[in-house]
Amino acid sequence: MTENHSASGTQTQRHRLEGPQKHIIVFILSLVLTIIAFAAVAAGNVNKLFVIFLLLGMAIVQAFAQLAFWMHMKDRGHFFPIIAILGGVLVVIMLVALALLWTWW
Amino acid sequence: MSAHEHHAGALPPEPEKATLEGRNKILGFWLFLGAETVLFGTLFSAYLAFRNSVLDGPPPEELFQLPMTFIMTVALLVSSLTSVFAVQAMHRHKTGQMLGWMAVTIALGAVFLGLEIYEFNEYVHEGHRFTTSAFSSAFYSLVGFHGAHVAFGILWIGLLILQILKKGLTVVTAPKVYVSAIYWHFIDVVWVFIFTVVYLMGKV
Repeated sequence: MTENHSASGTQTQRHRLEGPQKHIIVFILSLVLTIIAFAAVAAGNVNKLFVIFLLLGMAIVQAFAQLAFWMHMKDRGHFFPIIAILGGVLVVIMLVALALLWTWW
Repeated sequence: MSAHEHHAGALPPEPEKATLEGRNKILGFWLFLGAETVLFGTLFSAYLAFRNSVLDGPPPEELFQLPMTFIMTVALLVSSLTSVFAVQAMHRHKTGQMLGWMAVTIALGAVFLGLEIYEFNEYVHEGHRFTTSAFSSAFYSLVGFHGAHVAFGILWIGLLILQILKKGLTVVTAPKVYVSAIYWHFIDVVWVFIFTVVYLMGKV
């Protein structure tokens, strides 16, 4: 009980409540990136390869922003979460590369 | 833990990280999300391998309706934001506000799920069944698995609301709210890649 109290006491000192501003900025960014992606496809008649790379870029930026801010991965004490997700992403990259090589070769 | 009486004033600022049990729960959940990433990766790689194997079924560019996908995307994106607001309300110990945002999150998730069920029903009428082709099987496996995750999230957050109404916000219930929010964001991040790789690239 006393341990609990001293632990929460130190937390109060170094912790400041974060406001919603950053999260609303991430939301607006995500919305804008989504609209750009849909508009690029709806416009049509553009270079196919360019649109595919544009779409992937929009998705990766949006995913990165949401992981960092909404899922708090940018905060301290998130070393193992980063390792877990990076490990997963590494396997996904290999799986996707394998599937594409298998069908395109 | 439950032996301790935690009144709203006595709750620490980040109640989800106040106990070792809570911190371990969050860490364990991240390891689970790492495994979920791999799981969705296998479904994505299967979809990418089979996306041109349509046999007699309709090809992706005939099937997908972008306005519908856009509405679903916005519904899920907004629900991810309301889930952030729920955790922020929890950090301020405003239990009522937190429950309100969780309810909004569930409602938007239900909108997404309803539209997806309608969409799948339309596809079946257009002759795009699970067994039509390798493309249709891979499509329904990937998108359906994501939809099942949304359905599970709705059930989970719904049960959490009921539990918090009964037990209140404590250092035991707070990690559950935090972890469910992380789960919901993860589902939204997976959807970002589904609408990009499946729907938008299917139309390019």
